[in-house]
Amino acid sequence: MRWLQGLLSVSLLSVGAFGAKKSTEERFKEYHTKALSSAPVKLNDATYKDLTGVPRDYTGVVLLTALESRFGCELCRQFQPEWELLSRSWTKGDKKGESRVVYGTLDFSDGRDTFVALGLQTAPVLLLFQPTVGPHASPSAEPLRYDFTNGPQSAEQVHDWIVRHTPDRPHPAIKRPFNWMKWIIGFTILSGLVSLIYVAWPYVLPVLQNRNVWAAVSLISILLFTSGHMFNHIRKVPYIAGDGKGGISYFAGGFQNQYGMETQIVAAMYGVLSFAAISLAVKVPRIADAKSQQMMVILWSAVLFLMYSFLLSVFRIKNSGYPFSLPPFM
Amino acid sequence: MSATSSSSFDLLASGGRGKSSRTLLRVVILLFIAGAAIASRLFSVIRFESIIHEFDPWFNFRATKYLVSHGFYNFWDWFDDRTWHPLGRVTGGTLYPGLMVTSGVIYHALRALTIPVDIRNICVLLAPACSGLTAFATYLLTNEMTTNASAGLLAAAFMGIAPGYISRSVAGSYDNEAISIFLLVLTFYLWIKALKLGSMLWGALCALSYGYMVASWGGYAFITCLLPLHAFVLVCMGRYSTRLYVSYTSWYVLGTLASMQIPFVGFLPVKTSEHMPALGIFGFLQLLAFLDYVRSALPSGRQFQIFLWSIAGSVFLIGLLGLVVITSAGIIAPWGGRFYSLWDTAYAKIHIPIIASVSEHQPTAWPAFFFDLNMLIWLFPAGVYLCFQELADEHVFIVVYAVLGTYFAGVMVRLMLTLTPIVCVAAAMAVSQMLNNYLSLKSPKPEDHAVVEGADVTATKKKGGLKSTNKPVVGIYSLLSKGVVVTSMTIYLLLFVLHCTWVTSNAYSSPSVVLASRMPDGSQHIIDDYREAYQWLRQNTKDDAKIMSWWDYGYQIGGMADRPTLVDNNTWNNTHIATVGKAMSSREEVSYPIMRQHEVDYVLIVFGGLLGYSGDDINKFLWMVRIAEGIWPDEIRERDYFTPRGEYRVDAEASQTMKDSLMYKMSYYNYNALFPPGQAQDRVRGAKLPEVGPTLNTLEEAFTSENWIIRIYKVKDLDNFDRDHASAAAFDRGHKKKRGGKKRGPRVLRVE
Repeated sequence: MRWLQGLLSVSLLSVGAFGAKKSTEERFKEYHTKALSSAPVKLNDATYKDLTGVPRDYTGVVLLTALESRFGCELCRQFQPEWELLSRSWTKGDKKGESRVVYGTLDFSDGRDTFVALGLQTAPVLLLFQPTVGPHASPSAEPLRYDFTNGPQSAEQVHDWIVRHTPDRPHPAIKRPFNWMKWIIGFTILSGLVSLIYVAWPYVLPVLQNRNVWAAVSLISILLFTSGHMFNHIRKVPYIAGDGKGGISYFAGGFQNQYGMETQIVAAMYGVLSFAAISLAVKVPRIADAKSQQMMVILWSAVLFLMYSFLLSVFRIKNSGYPFSLPPFM
Repeated sequence: MSATSSSSFDLLASGGRGKSSRTLLRVVILLFIAGAAIASRLFSVIRFESIIHEFDPWFNFRATKYLVSHGFYNFWDWFDDRTWHPLGRVTGGTLYPGLMVTSGVIYHALRALTIPVDIRNICVLLAPACSGLTAFATYLLTNEMTTNASAGLLAAAFMGIAPGYISRSVAGSYDNEAISIFLLVLTFYLWIKALKLGSMLWGALCALSYGYMVASWGGYAFITCLLPLHAFVLVCMGRYSTRLYVSYTSWYVLGTLASMQIPFVGFLPVKTSEHMPALGIFGFLQLLAFLDYVRSALPSGRQFQIFLWSIAGSVFLIGLLGLVVITSAGIIAPWGGRFYSLWDTAYAKIHIPIIASVSEHQPTAWPAFFFDLNMLIWLFPAGVYLCFQELADEHVFIVVYAVLGTYFAGVMVRLMLTLTPIVCVAAAMAVSQMLNNYLSLKSPKPEDHAVVEGADVTATKKKGGLKSTNKPVVGIYSLLSKGVVVTSMTIYLLLFVLHCTWVTSNAYSSPSVVLASRMPDGSQHIIDDYREAYQWLRQNTKDDAKIMSWWDYGYQIGGMADRPTLVDNNTWNNTHIATVGKAMSSREEVSYPIMRQHEVDYVLIVFGGLLGYSGDDINKFLWMVRIAEGIWPDEIRERDYFTPRGEYRVDAEASQTMKDSLMYKMSYYNYNALFPPGQAQDRVRGAKLPEVGPTLNTLEEAFTSENWIIRIYKVKDLDNFDRDHASAAAFDRGHKKKRGGKKRGPRVLRVE
């Protein structure tokens, strides 16, 4: 709670320094006009104290950030465009200042003293100063702090948070600027693709009409899905993990876990088994030579048997109580 | 049973040559398969008793009882004031009535035949009975796919015993899926039949079956998406035909009308996006039919044809664009949450924690596929490959179903159920193709093939086929090859039967209301805490005592204890669930007003710490927190329930918010009295609990079951002296302490 004490002293100071000069109404007008030209208002130590000083009849939302690359604050830089979008669309949507919200940004390079006074170790920090006088006055002068624990936040999420703490006032919605570039790029790529398809159509058509291609595509997707690819995709499982002894653990323990590589091994096993079954069912009876047919039957039967035996042994790793096995992988 | 069907080949080959004896043989085999399918689902009845399982079946059972005792029209208008207190639920209009009506009809039919039967036994045995029918429907469906009669029998056998289907249809699992899978397979069979014959009659039958399916399960959307997709793929392949037109339109029109008769579905088929593809394809087919007519009427030129096709394409595109515009404008409801989460797999996690919290909606890891389908899982791609040989309209259906079905099953564990039929069909096709080749007694003569070789030069030039099937079938020469393949296939099939029996017996036959454990001497010990607690509620509380519990137990309390509940497994009102979540996860001072406002008399929780039962409320607690956080983000924060290091703990290190939460207090209240001082242990989370247990001021312990799985607390009334509960409780405790101090020794005069 050190930063709270610091903040209290800061706000007391500011009362002494500026409170006498300007009324809260004047301060709001001043910052609001500043914000109208360029939101959020860029603050420094002095203006920060001024803006957040008591008494105030407006809400101050201040982002304490560290944008310079030498601080290496990745989160600050990721959040900055969202923050600017939020403050800009709010201020533009509320030119008369009816919502009585002022947005400010204090960069570490401009407000080192404030950071020290607040005892801040991390950035970004988003503070919301409730009004202390006026119709929306809040009983506590302490600012509310936004929680950045869940990674970079979108403007909408922060907007919701601010809306929650500024009841009974207009809440201008976020207007994301129309992304012309995205549309132009999309249109260019699309027209390029269309012309490519138009040119290459005579060559593409046989491929599209080729049954072997479609058979391969559907079999591969079936193998992918049945070997747990969607689980990897949704749960973001690691591709591979160590076994704690410096080696590689190919199969995750437990029925509900798997590694990326594991699913590929399983898909390959299913693929081999299916291919052996297809060969035995479709290809071998079409071999005209008796000798080679005999060879192929024995070969594919052996592959099928060994692979199935291995698959069962792998399954026993996952489910230790599973009682069935085939030789040689008992 | 697969052994039965494979031995049938020999019989078919040698003895049963006549058509009638073949039919008789088939009927007998199918009866055996149905018998095996039913028998393998009776483990739980034999081991435990004839009892309804799990959670949802309890509601279905309760609704069926209501239907049987109050009649159909009362059931249709049923307003249930004993759930979702104080809101109630328009039950008649918010359920799929197919299951209950089916059992009701069976019940009344049996009564009319003067067979005295308990409605409970009908409910318990409905799912196994339907599985026999499913096996038969699978037989019919497979027979449409291949000329090979044995494939159908194999598919029926696979379907009868595949664990992927047994998991949802054991005796006592009285759920919508019990009859729906039969209807699903039947609808697909009728669709294929209608498409093959171009018959309006079969299309209408398909629509009827579809209507029945809509009446019984929300999974009907799978059919609603699959049939249009099949039609669309056929059109894209240039296989538009009047057969397709007749079968699709008759299915769509009649099926949609039938589905709109269900109050719960109502106008959804014309309003929601998941039904739009069916409507879009319907319109597209009209257009194609019109163009087809125009083309046949006009002297056709190639350019004219291209012109027409481009018109068809552009109309289709414009329709698609229009759909997007209408959806975004909000005229058509956007995709339903559950459905949408199938496409955008991250959607539910962010927006609908209540969906993400259900374990059935988790993605499927690969062992689950193998567990549920065993060797079928690798025969399945082989079967799909065989479909590409001929690639008639019905084979396209298999391919489309296979790809879509595997995707859905991969995203959601529960949809393994819709995948299983096609896996059985495709795998049976592969196995029967293999056995047909290797079981035939005729061997080709090596000298014949020279002629064949000469002939196949022309055959290889055949267009559009698979590369592997260019050459003609020769047959298997040696007896050794036949022996090897047949023996190994027999081993695999036997292993499959063993696997299915083992899985069914070990994984899918526990009623979960009754838990079984093994004593050290190997005998079975039944843990019956749930029923003990529900019986206690039934006998010791007022008839209208409101019970608050997490929504998982709502249906069971309604069904077994017959008491009103605040929330239940029909999760239609997220806010109400979040209210219960908030009451459970907040401090007593916050929870008590919530409980008073909802007139809660008793709070029921599940606690597995003593027994090591991991499905308890402390393990589900984070979901309560998350769901409550979704509504009150300022008051409940998930992070507060973790230690500063981000661990979820229940021991002395647990965060203060966790220790103050009502759920924590109720779980561990008086728990340390069971153990010697300082040795209280939670066996689920392997945690040593603090020496001093939590205190409860606003609740008092009313009942704790034998193994502490269920704990019931009574909500205290307001204090007689108008004190708050904390000080009243403190006063009571202090009073006791003082009395204890009195006994210790005589008073000593204070000397200064």
